[in-house]
Amino acid sequence: MQRNVGVDDRTVGRLESIVGAEHVRTTAGAVAPYARDATPLFHQMPDAVVHPGTTDEVAQVLRFATETGSPVVPRGAGSNLCAATVPLRGGIVLVLTRMNRILEISAAELLAVCQPGVANATLGAAAAERGLLYAPDPGSRVVSTIGGNISTCAGGLRGLKYGVTRNYVLGLEVVLPTGEVIRTGGRLWKDVAGYDLTRLLTGSEGTLGVITEATVALLPLPAHSACGVAYFPALADAGRAVAGVIAAGIVPATLEFLDNRCINAVEDYAGLGLRRDAGALLLFGDDGDPDRVAVHLARISEICLGEGALDVTTAKEVAESEALLAARRCSLPALARLGPMAILEDATVPRPRLAEMVARIDAIADRHDVVIGTFGHAGDGNLHPTCVLHPDDTDAIERAHKAFGEVFRAAMELGGTISGEHGIGASKLPYLVERLGPAQVDLLRRVKTAFDPAGILNPGKLGS
Amino acid sequence: MTGAEPGGPPFSPELLDRCISCGFCLPACPTYALTQEEASSPRGRITLMRAVQTGLLPLAAPEVTEQSSFCLGCRACEVVCPAGVRYGALLEEWRDAGWSGGRRPLRLRALLLAARQRWALGLLGRLRRAASPRRRSTSAMAGELRSHLLLGCFERILYPAVSRSAVAVTGGAVEVPAGTGCCGALHAHNGELERGRAMARRLGDALPGRIVTTSGGCAAHLAEVLGRDRVAELSEWLAADPDTLPVGRLSTDGRLSTDGRLSTDGRPVRVGLQDSCHLRNGLGVAAQPRAVLGRIAEYVEIPGADRCCGAAGTYSMLRPDDSRRILAGKLDAIEAAGVDVVAVVNPGCYRQVRAGLRSRRSPVRVAHLAELVAAAYAGGNQRAR
Repeated sequence: MQRNVGVDDRTVGRLESIVGAEHVRTTAGAVAPYARDATPLFHQMPDAVVHPGTTDEVAQVLRFATETGSPVVPRGAGSNLCAATVPLRGGIVLVLTRMNRILEISAAELLAVCQPGVANATLGAAAAERGLLYAPDPGSRVVSTIGGNISTCAGGLRGLKYGVTRNYVLGLEVVLPTGEVIRTGGRLWKDVAGYDLTRLLTGSEGTLGVITEATVALLPLPAHSACGVAYFPALADAGRAVAGVIAAGIVPATLEFLDNRCINAVEDYAGLGLRRDAGALLLFGDDGDPDRVAVHLARISEICLGEGALDVTTAKEVAESEALLAARRCSLPALARLGPMAILEDATVPRPRLAEMVARIDAIADRHDVVIGTFGHAGDGNLHPTCVLHPDDTDAIERAHKAFGEVFRAAMELGGTISGEHGIGASKLPYLVERLGPAQVDLLRRVKTAFDPAGILNPGKLGS
Repeated sequence: MTGAEPGGPPFSPELLDRCISCGFCLPACPTYALTQEEASSPRGRITLMRAVQTGLLPLAAPEVTEQSSFCLGCRACEVVCPAGVRYGALLEEWRDAGWSGGRRPLRLRALLLAARQRWALGLLGRLRRAASPRRRSTSAMAGELRSHLLLGCFERILYPAVSRSAVAVTGGAVEVPAGTGCCGALHAHNGELERGRAMARRLGDALPGRIVTTSGGCAAHLAEVLGRDRVAELSEWLAADPDTLPVGRLSTDGRLSTDGRLSTDGRPVRVGLQDSCHLRNGLGVAAQPRAVLGRIAEYVEIPGADRCCGAAGTYSMLRPDDSRRILAGKLDAIEAAGVDVVAVVNPGCYRQVRAGLRSRRSPVRVAHLAELVAAAYAGGNQRAR
């Protein structure tokens, strides 16, 4: 880990003159909580934490940072799982949670305009009040921010039917590291003027610019949603059922799976009466017209039973469905009950290879003598193998890292990727060249330099 | 019982290790809502605790001390924590280590001392015309473990009507011992963890069987030390058989009004609730007071009823400005809800919400659940205080 660049008195004075003294923190006790995000094993103290309130303040901070060469790490709620917001080289953590206003919700144009610090669930609730849906729903939705969601191109439980964050970003206001403010895209679904910088910035993990406003697409709120649970003897059986569902022409809103270890962890936490002896649980659900949802759920139930499901239940009430979805969302933290530290990964494979991939993960875990539970999105092949261990057990951590290296390689061999929705950050950067190849990694560096000639934005991450 | 090693790092490793920094607690935290600053969130505070534990920061670092006191200790974060972090226990360890000796605020020292001195409470009581519980004959049902009503030490003095109401509504079903002393909750929450626990144990020895209390804060502390089955908060005790309440439980001596409901101007009284944080977040008792109130009045859920009012034990005395900032939004919600009365189930909330509403000259009144049940029990058109 590199040494901090440091922030001197002149710098502090300048930052205070930009955002106000009450929005700058430099003492060890005040900046320590920003040394980490939700990723274990990555910590680095920033030198200063700045809470800007306006786009102009962001621009002034960035211009100043470019002049002085101080690293700047933009941060929302700090709930990412790839150490994207850990200030590896110290410098300034730029926290955007003060900019948390929803500026507009337009039912006529089916869009919302908001500041980056708005929580995903807050935008979702505001949209729902108007009969609208903001579809991306990462597991962290209660806390994670729209700015952070866009920066990591967050996915969620509805990815198969609704896509992910990138499918909903129409336009961005972005402050470049050199201080210019640009607006990409806008309120239009069709707009091909120039390179698609909106998409480039989506998932750029705070390395190209700081998002200060976003225009996102909304959908009409589905009239009805419901879900059910199927239990299988083994994950391979669930994998066949998923293939059968898609082959039957159904694209359900939800197709989530938990392996046996995750079922038990969630049950320990939420006490929903899940069947603890099952090898795999498939949570399926759909939304839309009530009749159509009922037909889909019935058909999925049939397919599951046909593929050897031990038991299939369909929840009757939306309230119950929400409890089930909530249970799935809490898989990660619930797994954390199995041990004091959980390393969560995000390997993704083409949907038909899901069961094969889980079998490989289990074999890798056995070989390296580590405990790995796997849950994830069966519909889009996105797996979350989660290793539970003790932070003081350096030997186990070493084994876990070796195991995950093999997991990533296995995913790529099966035509998959090293991260489906969490991002690269600092934690997966070592594997990026294997995934993209040297030519593409080099291009990423040149793109980064074009945006950020001084290399101040989130150094040590993508494009560095 | 967990506890950090004497002389070693201040926190029990097994408590600290639980947190995975997922941040799910941030939206539940009232102080994070005020500042939007990581250090004043549960996750940020745990990061500070970890920094202290590993020696990265001294326990007496200004921000560390500030955050240990800025935290309300409402434990709303525990309910939403999927990893099962026992934040309240960590906070107790934090204050136990950090607020020792001269670092504890003077006002707090005086208060904690007073709670341990019967003469001091007595003096206060003389000034306030305290409720004086008489030893009652017991008519506990055969085969059932005796229950004792614990009248809060400060409540008896500051809110004698609550104590009298509690005695009335529990009827002959529980014993009402005199002079039981303090349960030690305030001590445990304010840096005298061992003393607070010892006081609870002493109380547990003095009152065998189930302890029924009108204070959510006392209930949670006693449950922590003595075990959950030893304690019942009043609404929990009353709601044990909700189908018959108040008719069944309260009509044992035939003093119930015909329908047992509170009315005003020929309509049912509209009652909301302010949850007691430790009762709700620590003991999971939230449905019971609502069920009881729904039996005796028209129950209205006040948005944000589950969030701390800012009383938070000694908080309103130690940090009056922050306490008022926390309270302000709640008062808005109460006034917008169109209730006649806000019911409380903890003396601290009583003082806080009533003072806030009075300062606004609000027509909404505050009453302890015991008072409302007693009024229904007494029958007729009620007047909530």
